[in-house]
Amino acid sequence: MVDVKLAPGADEVAMAVMLSDMLRANLEKPEKLKDFNKLKARVYINAKDAETEMTMLFDKGSLTVYGGKEGNPDISIITDAATLLDLANINIKMGMPYYFDETGMAVVKKLLKRELQIKGMFAHYFALNRLTKIMSLN
Amino acid sequence: MALTYGTDEWNQAYDALVKERLESQSKPFVMGTPEWVAQYEELIQNDAEYKEAAKDWEGSVVIKILAKPDIGLDKDLYMFMDLWHGDCRFVKIVPADVGESADYVITGEYERWRSVMAKELDTIKGMMQGKLKLKGDLPTIVRAVKASARLVDLSASTECKFPDELDAAGIEELRALLKRAEDELGI
Repeated sequence: MVDVKLAPGADEVAMAVMLSDMLRANLEKPEKLKDFNKLKARVYINAKDAETEMTMLFDKGSLTVYGGKEGNPDISIITDAATLLDLANINIKMGMPYYFDETGMAVVKKLLKRELQIKGMFAHYFALNRLTKIMSLN
Repeated sequence: MALTYGTDEWNQAYDALVKERLESQSKPFVMGTPEWVAQYEELIQNDAEYKEAAKDWEGSVVIKILAKPDIGLDKDLYMFMDLWHGDCRFVKIVPADVGESADYVITGEYERWRSVMAKELDTIKGMMQGKLKLKGDLPTIVRAVKASARLVDLSASTECKFPDELDAAGIEELRALLKRAEDELGI
């Protein structure tokens, strides 16, 4: 059983509940769990169009999900709700996120058009890669 | 005594009701009525974009519209879509127990679904805001996000009249229709 918990009040934020459920299901896969156990980062997600935000605090094998902005994030992902789900559909090839197929290219295009903003992308490159692998349903 | 869902008698009675309504009603149909559902079913069945997006999809999806008696919806309405690898086998209004047993049930108040069908609310956004609630395996729905979005787009492209736009007589007519469907079909 993976250690994914909702902080008090987070259960009232639908996006936090949805993404926690998705992560719990994903972490049943051993290859995802391996990355989860190594990831230490504070990740803030803001679905602008849905006017909802959350923070995920990964601490090498545990995750606490907050409904809202909590602390100073290492990585901030700011986009619309549908793009967040596109991120979950990124394919993983040879243990790395793959950006050269239709889904990956769509994400890159949104990055270039600033419809998807990822702050901390370069400073926390490895953490972002791990996060992408954990979040990916593939 | 209502017929039992899934029997030949039930299917024949449902089809007869749809046929009668299609012949007696003029477009635009009222959202949530059997004739509107039939129109929606035809759109999905003939949509190449949906077929492509849903080629890996397996499972039934229910749109559950919560009751709103002041516009004639005295009971929750379950719109059941039997979907399989890009095919839409059928879309029907079904009894509550059948609706609740679908693989995926997306529940919302009438106003939310009205906003979705008027293209004012995106389904994904609605789910993230908690305005629409999903029962079922979330990762599977997320993988099929394009197919889900297309289903909603199609519902928004049906010509329709919303129940809250009806006058008092229209609301009573809708109430009477749904009561008849309840008595005869258990829906």
